[in-house]
Amino acid sequence: MQHIGIIDDDEAIRESLRLLLYAAGYSCQVFASADEFLSKPVEQPIELLLLDIRMPGTDGLELFRMLRRDKVPYPVIFITGHGDIPLAVNAIKQGAFDFLTKPFRKGELLEKIQQALHFYRERKSQLQDVHELRRKLDDCTPRERDVMQLMVQGLPNKGIAEALNISPRTVEIHRAHVMEKMQAESLPALVRMVTLLGEAD
Amino acid sequence: MTPDSSFFDALMDAAVDAIIIIDQQAIIQRFNRSAQTLFGYSEDEVTGKNIKMLMPEPVRSRHDEYISNYNRTGKAAIIGHGRLEKGKRRNGEVFPMWLSVGESRLHGQVHYVGIIHDLSHQHATEEKVRMLEEQLFHADRLLVLGELTAGIAHEINQPLTAIAAYADAGRHLAEQAAETRKGTGRAADADGPQASGSAADPEDSDSLRIYTRISEQSRRAAAVVERLRNLVRSGTSKKAMHDVRSIIKNTLLLFDFELKNMDVDVQVSIQENLPEIRVDEIQIQQILVNLVKNGLDAVSDAGRPQGRVDIAVHSDAEYLNIAVSDNGAGVPQDSLKHLFEPFYTSKPKGVGLGLSICKNIAAAHGASLQHSPVQPHGACFTLSIPLANIG
Repeated sequence: MQHIGIIDDDEAIRESLRLLLYAAGYSCQVFASADEFLSKPVEQPIELLLLDIRMPGTDGLELFRMLRRDKVPYPVIFITGHGDIPLAVNAIKQGAFDFLTKPFRKGELLEKIQQALHFYRERKSQLQDVHELRRKLDDCTPRERDVMQLMVQGLPNKGIAEALNISPRTVEIHRAHVMEKMQAESLPALVRMVTLLGEAD
Repeated sequence: MTPDSSFFDALMDAAVDAIIIIDQQAIIQRFNRSAQTLFGYSEDEVTGKNIKMLMPEPVRSRHDEYISNYNRTGKAAIIGHGRLEKGKRRNGEVFPMWLSVGESRLHGQVHYVGIIHDLSHQHATEEKVRMLEEQLFHADRLLVLGELTAGIAHEINQPLTAIAAYADAGRHLAEQAAETRKGTGRAADADGPQASGSAADPEDSDSLRIYTRISEQSRRAAAVVERLRNLVRSGTSKKAMHDVRSIIKNTLLLFDFELKNMDVDVQVSIQENLPEIRVDEIQIQQILVNLVKNGLDAVSDAGRPQGRVDIAVHSDAEYLNIAVSDNGAGVPQDSLKHLFEPFYTSKPKGVGLGLSICKNIAAAHGASLQHSPVQPHGACFTLSIPLANIG
């Protein structure tokens, strides 16, 4: 079961959300304030946080800034009243996943939670991919990387040889090493890998 | 007549107020220089004519009657004192004036002398103050209404959110219960056609329907609250380019009367060559009226002599800053946190919406409103309006 944290100072809201998320198949832990969230141990790793924007003490935005500084790996969805929409939009610009205006439209809450969890799962596996690719890239020699750069631009061996001022035979050897080290089954696969690395930088 | 009639003429013409002398039949005898300027006639043009020509209707038609009444009964309506009247200029314009009439009896001849003080300028100022007050009052009501509605909407939306979430949770749980029961029901069906599985269905669909209805109705209530908010909020802001100097001048005009009766020194200093700002004039005035009023309250509450309220305007690269400061008691430490919250007040008769409304108006202009303490005592509120206010 995916674990969701709920922070809201209104008891009825946090309890009703807990029940709704429980009914929808999530496990939850509720907190009455940002400070409680920071001081109380979590029962299991949080995978998503529902955060009320306006609370006494440390408010939602302040907590969010702290979490962002700590680079927490889960999405944050803000819960806001109508008057706070500009604040919520600002929070999204700072990296919050989304916001929900009270009272929520039918199905809206569960939909956004699913979207957020899906998005972060994708991103996580993509991050793992990038991590893996970087490791493979590190195995390549500087010369092999030069060849790789020109390969993904679609240059034939002869073109690469001319550009790097080496023999086509040498290019062929480098090329085979690149494909082997990057574990690329084809040129298009290699192009995808390099693109992904480029996006991550 | 008298040897020093030239001295008399000189006095007449030196008078700032208009002086008109008529005889018993209301025929104009003398018409001093100020009267000529005020009414737009030369003395030659009016001498020998009935004073009626300088009156607007309905007094004009009744004046003969007044004169003959007085001449007959000796009962004066105006003679011996003064009252507010209306005059009519050559160009037809009617203006307010203070008219006092005296009577002179010399050598058996009766003359009346009317002294006229022009009130048009004063009236124009009063009219302007009245108009400003009316506009502010209207804007005030709308804003208070808006603030109240927003506050209530928030308070109602909290439980509505919970009700909707509870109902949705109930519906999910009822669906799951129905699924489970269907499962066991089907197992029972296998044993015989009379099994209880089908009997549970209406019960499940009843609770499902009830939860759905609760959810629908809570959202209906939320829609009502939302409509109310939109109704109150719509079309209250009219932004245009304005000179801050005139906004401040108009604001202080509203305090004219109050300041006359208070021992408070109000100083205004405005930086030269300020750019115009794009704002809703009435709303910015609203903020300034609130801030100045708070300042005046603060110095009169503090009860110290030499109370001061200063308004200082200067601009930096991005903002035009209007700072209103006082040397009252200042904001107590424990109030600082709640200063801009709705319904928070330190005044015995306050509602606690003033600063919260000001903050909202500021926000609607992309501006900020900040408090800072003044040393050794007092408070300063600074409204910073972005110069590139395009919104």
